[in-house]
Amino acid sequence: MGLLTGELKQWVGREFNYIAPEEIGRASIRYFALAMGDDNRLYVDDEYARAAGYPGVIAPPTFICETNQYAHRQPNADGYIGHSWDLPISGCRMIRGGHEYEFFQPVRSEDRITVNWRLVDISEHGSSRGGTMLIVIATASFSNQDAREQSRDAHLSAAGQSSAERRNR
Amino acid sequence: MPPALNAADLRPGVQVPVLERKLDLVRMIAYAGATWDWARLHYDPAYVAERKLPAPVIDGQMLGALLSEALLDWLGPRAFIFKLNFRLRAMVFAGDTVRCEGQVTALATAAEQRLLTVAQRIYVSGRVVADGGACVRLPG
Repeated sequence: MGLLTGELKQWVGREFNYIAPEEIGRASIRYFALAMGDDNRLYVDDEYARAAGYPGVIAPPTFICETNQYAHRQPNADGYIGHSWDLPISGCRMIRGGHEYEFFQPVRSEDRITVNWRLVDISEHGSSRGGTMLIVIATASFSNQDAREQSRDAHLSAAGQSSAERRNR
Repeated sequence: MPPALNAADLRPGVQVPVLERKLDLVRMIAYAGATWDWARLHYDPAYVAERKLPAPVIDGQMLGALLSEALLDWLGPRAFIFKLNFRLRAMVFAGDTVRCEGQVTALATAAEQRLLTVAQRIYVSGRVVADGGACVRLPG
């Protein structure tokens, strides 16, 4: 029996929406830049940002796609509190494959974000290790309080089993 | 503010200045706090040892942040990245130093703006751990 069950196929098209409880805030932008070791003054210096054509400091491009401050969830068994699909897949390890970002406008500290998650597609493929794997594509769209989309992040994840893994269990 | 780059500075084949960054456990924990991502895979040595991994695994989106940093450091504050993509090819672990490289693949001019396309790769100890690209808008 393949990994892509009828039950799993019904998950395609599901959506979840989250609304952040507060504005992003200047400190969260600064802490993200500090954590990455990014000393770009755009993220901390209003005068510098205005000289570059912005109303004030802006967030690093991927910040909004990474922050989980909008989620009101308890940590799962792996400690994660952000959005999770909790797909009915057993015996597989889910790994992240990559990201495709689109950025429409800069993110400001006073933005209060709404996040729409949509499960776009699940497909089954052969694995280079001899088994099968699922490719899960989900999109997160981030909008501010003016309902203007700021960023979009398509997540590519894979879950699979290999014949080698089955023998080792 | 860095000087504006001219067309010769952005022609296809021009290399994106290299960015290197050590991703130690302290930085990974700071990133987890900054993003409120407490997945244990990214900071808990006991958790990763149970899964037979040699060290905590970096959050893949840290690589996206570095790819965008490399571009904006080079192109200046008036550049706007409107597309960025990467595929993860191998795990990166706490303590690894990543090296971000790239090169221009296309430069176009439209409506008083310049549109730059770049291909990017990230290496750890000479091995590709991620690759992708970006599209950037620059003032004309």
